[in-house]
Amino acid sequence: MPRIFSILRARSLAAAWIVMLATTLSAVSAAAATPAETFVQQNVQRGLTILNNHGIPDAQRRSEFRDFLTSLTDIRRIAEFTLGAARRTATTDQVEAFVDAFRDYAVSVYEARLIQYSGQSLKVTGSTERAPGDYVVDTVLVDPNGKTSGQEPIRVDFRVVTSGGKFVVIDASIAGVWLAIEERDQFTAFLQQNNGNVPALTTHLEDLATQLRNGGARPPSH
Amino acid sequence: MGLRTATVFGLGLLLAGCADNTAQMTSDPNDPWESWNRKVLSMNMSFDHAVLKPTAEAYVSVVPEPARNGLHNFLTNLDSPVIFANDLLQGEFELAGETLGRFGLNSTAGLAGLIDVATPAGLPRHASDFGQTLGVWGLGANPYLVLPLLGPSNPRDFVGYVADTFMDPLNYVGIREIQYWEMGRGAAVIIDQRAGNMEMLDQLDQSSVDKYATMRSLYRQYRDAHIRHGQQDVKDLPNM
Repeated sequence: MPRIFSILRARSLAAAWIVMLATTLSAVSAAAATPAETFVQQNVQRGLTILNNHGIPDAQRRSEFRDFLTSLTDIRRIAEFTLGAARRTATTDQVEAFVDAFRDYAVSVYEARLIQYSGQSLKVTGSTERAPGDYVVDTVLVDPNGKTSGQEPIRVDFRVVTSGGKFVVIDASIAGVWLAIEERDQFTAFLQQNNGNVPALTTHLEDLATQLRNGGARPPSH
Repeated sequence: MGLRTATVFGLGLLLAGCADNTAQMTSDPNDPWESWNRKVLSMNMSFDHAVLKPTAEAYVSVVPEPARNGLHNFLTNLDSPVIFANDLLQGEFELAGETLGRFGLNSTAGLAGLIDVATPAGLPRHASDFGQTLGVWGLGANPYLVLPLLGPSNPRDFVGYVADTFMDPLNYVGIREIQYWEMGRGAAVIIDQRAGNMEMLDQLDQSSVDKYATMRSLYRQYRDAHIRHGQQDVKDLPNM
């Protein structure tokens, strides 16, 4: 059981990757060598500005962060990837409804983690072009509050692609756990247990998003 | 749950390719014991809700944070001999040096490990275990396995877990008292870890579509990254 705690810690960090993206970048290396690294660096600063703006109502701050998040990421691309093999057999209407539900679910998850923002910083350490226009930008999470004291430094990687002439984030990895891959695994398992019923998954995501927005726990289902 | 899983899955296989709006779902070939694993996970979660979580909550409410941090550092420091041995077995001599330095520094200047003075000194903690060592040596991770109380694992990592226990010199202190030492240390580790992850486990409850699949994916990805010491081959990532 103890090992799973450290793994769950990594997962929870993975689920909060956008929050991390929006954290301070004071320790970022002065010279980001590639455009993809610069993109990550600049948007971390942009997100930080939103999170640190306590002069506006909390609801407005969350709304601005939601806009920031949806503009930074290619939610449709992520959603269709997480649908896995079901993407090929689902109808257009089913996919559209799923994408909408996924967007709401994903944003709700990240919003729920806003309150945990505690000033961590990300240091860009390099990047790799895995395919033309498809980059992985490496960063390391630094915790000035000492919460990671005694812990291995946490590596945070962002997968960035060019789309329509600009960069977008399509996945992030915390301590080796890629968020979109984990979500695809979850959704595939759900679909396996529900006869491949995509509308059922969509409804389930909508329910989860509502519960997350209300801040309420739900009874364990598995 | 197991019967339901098997039934639904069997139905899924029958329907695959038949219905226009039904995805062609295939079983996870690396999890042939899913039905059993789900039962064990359910049992583990019940134990967590009934025993571990309430105990950890009581621990957090009674013991002040500095004392909890001290215990955490102390327990972490005790892992150093096993980490050091596995660093060596993996040929990671630089990491082994860091582990040795951490252990020496924290055991002395850190007051028997209660204070982590090594991290600020540039010697951050890392984890190593024999399951990881076997992975570095080329042993595969499959099939997936959920163990009672121990949680997500696989045959390789379970063997590693047992080997680490035998490898730990601290488990040989005394003869008559060894079982009490092991039990006490084990209980302290579990409560310490559970208390330190309270909020995150609650989040997992709230946001997971399928907790079993979540933990399976987490375990596989995390262990794989651990074996590669964080050096991922980005070419292996799926196209999106």
